Amino acid sequence: MIDDEVLGTHRQELRRGTVVLACLLALRAPEYGYALLKRLDAAGIASDANTIYPLLRRLEERGLLASEWNTDDTRPRKFYRTSGAGIELAAQLMHDMTDLTASLHALNGGTDR
Amino acid sequence: MTTLTERYLAAAQRGIPEAERADVERELRSSIADALEDRVTGGEDRAAAEKAVLEGLGDPVRLAAGIAGRPLHLIGPELFVEYRQLLVMLLSVVVPIVAVVLAAVSLAGGEDYPGAILAGLGGAGNVAVHMAFWVTLVFALVERFDAARDARNEITGAAGRWTVDRLPALPPGRVTAGETVGEVITTLISVGGLLWLNGANWFTDASGDVIPLFNPDVWAVVMPFLIGVLASIAGLQVIIFLVGRWTTPLAISHGVLHVAFAAPVTALALTGNLINPPFADAVGWPPLAEGNGPVMLSIAAGTVLVTAWYIFDGFRRARRHDTAEPSVAAGEPGRAVR
Repeated sequence: MIDDEVLGTHRQELRRGTVVLACLLALRAPEYGYALLKRLDAAGIASDANTIYPLLRRLEERGLLASEWNTDDTRPRKFYRTSGAGIELAAQLMHDMTDLTASLHALNGGTDR
Repeated sequence: MTTLTERYLAAAQRGIPEAERADVERELRSSIADALEDRVTGGEDRAAAEKAVLEGLGDPVRLAAGIAGRPLHLIGPELFVEYRQLLVMLLSVVVPIVAVVLAAVSLAGGEDYPGAILAGLGGAGNVAVHMAFWVTLVFALVERFDAARDARNEITGAAGRWTVDRLPALPPGRVTAGETVGEVITTLISVGGLLWLNGANWFTDASGDVIPLFNPDVWAVVMPFLIGVLASIAGLQVIIFLVGRWTTPLAISHGVLHVAFAAPVTALALTGNLINPPFADAVGWPPLAEGNGPVMLSIAAGTVLVTAWYIFDGFRRARRHDTAEPSVAAGEPGRAVR
């Protein structure tokens, strides 16, 4: 039985890079921070609020996301949307991710488990 | 929204650049409200829910640093090795020398032994604090400048700053006997030169005695020390030859010895204690011996420059050898590559 702490650390490492991809994919439909968190959670992508908020800002700074304040609702919310460059990057990363999964399966002896 | 949320927002704000503050605050505020509402709708007690939401966001200082893209450390792993090496070298070489020189100077100035030791330790402590502070400041600034670049690279994938072009050249073979003999002879000539310069019959005084070039009070105390240091440098050259190559400890010893030579010479020159004042008078140009005269300033500056070169050269050679030997630098990625 593997140590919980070891498992946790390595899972975190494994997921770290995929959070960016998950955000870029999810935000092809505009969403605000908290709703995105819920959506990622529901999709089985574990992420923390204190990771996502800084990440959204960094991605926006790099021009991979665009943002807009929506003040129509009961409270003002900052909506993020994946930009053209972001969509392009997401497609490339998704492709790489699929390749990576296939490579790992191949290494694992061609079986899924 | 209660004071707890307000306090959280205020704490987070402090780390955010002025221009982004309003925007970050507004977004965080609405995010906290969303999360809180969600929990309360789910049947949680409002106060407990607020606490859980804020704790879920974590330390506001950390969150702010993430948003502002600033590192949470002073000096990161990329620079730490260089930082530590430089600091250790400076502290271990310069501080003891300063202590000894200051103690010697106050001893020569008529201070008793406890007083001289205190003066030496006090001055050395002062120098150590200054050195640690300035070195740390410079590295911290470099870290911040570099961190911005790393953050950009992180997402754009423009990493890969290291290329094989950066690999150091293989070291030229082992230290040769000719090299060592040359170094030893140069050092011994320096010893002979010092003795000759002082003893040569430049001028005689009224009673026909030779006027020595160097201040006789100082000569008696410092010259044996300087000659000892020069002899040690010659000895070290032989050790380096026997080891076959420069290593970091050898380069450190080499640096220590050169500083041990240069520090008293520089101190004496600048305080006007190097040249015998009657000698300067005999030359007919008293400013020759003065600490702020052109000659002594040149000697001080020249000594510092030459010593800096010697130290740099020693470390450069040691580094060349270290980098080419995986066994020496095991565990340091990028260095163990042939």
